[in-house]
Amino acid sequence: MTVPLAAALTLALAAFALTRRRLLWGVIGVGAHSLALAGLLFLLSAPDVALTEAAVGFALVTFVYLLALRRTGKLVVAAVPAYPLLYPQGERVRGLEWELLERLARSLHRDLELIWASRAEVPGLLGSGEAQLACGGVLSRGGEALPSLLLVPTSLVAVRVGPGPTGAVQGCRGQDRLPPGGLLFPSQEELKDALVSGRIGTALVDLLSFRNWHLAGGLEGAEVIPVERGLHYTLLVAPGEGELLRRARELVEGLRGSGELDRLIRRYLA
Amino acid sequence: MLALAGLILWGSFAWGPRPLAPSPAQVTAGYGVRNAVAAVVLGARLWDTLLEVLVFAVAMAGVRFGLSPLPRAGKPTPLPESHLLARMGDVLFAPVAVFSLYLALSGHLGPGGGFPAGAILGSGLLLLALAMGMEPLSRRLHEGTLERLEYGTVAALLGAGVGMGLAGRWGPGWFVAVNLAIALEVAIGAWVVLHRFAAHRGEL
Amino acid sequence: MAGPVGLATAVGLAGLGFFVLAVRRELIFKLLGLHVASGGVGLFLVATGHRPGGIAPILGLGPGPTVDPLPQALVLTAIVIHFATLALALVYVIYLTERHHSQDAHRLEREEE
Repeated sequence: MTVPLAAALTLALAAFALTRRRLLWGVIGVGAHSLALAGLLFLLSAPDVALTEAAVGFALVTFVYLLALRRTGKLVVAAVPAYPLLYPQGERVRGLEWELLERLARSLHRDLELIWASRAEVPGLLGSGEAQLACGGVLSRGGEALPSLLLVPTSLVAVRVGPGPTGAVQGCRGQDRLPPGGLLFPSQEELKDALVSGRIGTALVDLLSFRNWHLAGGLEGAEVIPVERGLHYTLLVAPGEGELLRRARELVEGLRGSGELDRLIRRYLA
Repeated sequence: MLALAGLILWGSFAWGPRPLAPSPAQVTAGYGVRNAVAAVVLGARLWDTLLEVLVFAVAMAGVRFGLSPLPRAGKPTPLPESHLLARMGDVLFAPVAVFSLYLALSGHLGPGGGFPAGAILGSGLLLLALAMGMEPLSRRLHEGTLERLEYGTVAALLGAGVGMGLAGRWGPGWFVAVNLAIALEVAIGAWVVLHRFAAHRGEL
Repeated sequence: MAGPVGLATAVGLAGLGFFVLAVRRELIFKLLGLHVASGGVGLFLVATGHRPGGIAPILGLGPGPTVDPLPQALVLTAIVIHFATLALALVYVIYLTERHHSQDAHRLEREEE
């Protein structure tokens, strides 16, 4: 009677644990699965095995965690794909912000690691400590109290193709400007599709995204209304990483002063 | 697909009526203990168990050896310290240690035995390490001596196994002694692994 | 009733675990899949020892048929050995991470060439 229940629970937890994207959840899930398995073994009248499995499953999970998630010496960056600032090309990564990240990592003698995520996931990744930096066409939002470093100037614009509701990317600064009745989309591509298909009449995006859409075509006759000027694409830093913020600021100021930053902007954004 | 079919084929081997299990009275009669599983693990299949303990010790040595060329982690990045854990860590360790000892000592009478006892003690040590930091705990435990003690325990166990094979006088005393030795060995091994990982990757 | 259910879940777990071992790119997930698969194999062995209406094989727990203690004994030490081998596997993963700065199986294979 309770055996099938425990068995189903064990299988479900295993399936859950092994299909997670983040290591942390996978490890916790396998730990929970171990406990469920121990319960199942107990119900199958094998108390010794159950006890041993529970004890080892716990200690095991603790130390897998110790290994996998304590990445000393790596600079983990939550990356939002944003052409041409930060985007994957095959197995490599390119873009203006990528070059900045590489220089930063080199100056800190640390290895760079990117976690590709959506804009909405960024505060969570930074807050939990899984990532120390975030970038990728990121505009800082009012509500997120995250230290940020200004990189490239831009603006927020509304692209209007016709009547209809307004849309923005979830987690983005456009969301702050969304009127009631506005729709949220998980990514830029879906936002554009909705605009082209007519599901929404206006889209709130940053200038670069609009330029990409414009170059890709499909938005002839669109009206562009500036919404907010004087914004910057930023590098977000996790709270508590004061030293990292300072070093990054030094690097960017240095690049700005020497004119290198302008050169990079011209190369990638012209 | 082939693998899946293979798995199902393997699973189907267990279908069908199975022989009646021996009653625990039969199994334990010759060994003087009440836990049939313990009787099998430490009596009928003693050699398997001892060699597996040897494998465990060898794996621990492998971990030690494999991690030594890696750079040691520098100052551990400070984690948000939990004062509750720091204070209660040593208090909580006491019941864990007692429970582990109980499991080891009563392994021949009820569920338990050396293996879970050692694992639980190792986890308890981890708890203590969270409370007082890995390095101080390592020093207090005289880790160097413990490592040598682990190898000594394995050697003693193997020797005793040979002795039992030759003399063969079973009794609950033998079971208790072996359970304790196994618990000690597993606990030390688990602790050494945890400590090595922490030392080379940064504290938990 | 309990026996066949146990067997089915064991096969399911083993299948799932091995599948994940082969499919996922990240090394840690491969190891987690292996962990689940070994749990499945252990469960399989214990489930074959299960008898209908059986109770735990300890003298003095009560009358009635008991489950077969032999597979339990096999699995008991196996669990601890799984831990040891997992520790060794993780050592190798740490080594790879430090040397090649990647835990991605495809990237590591390519670097190997």
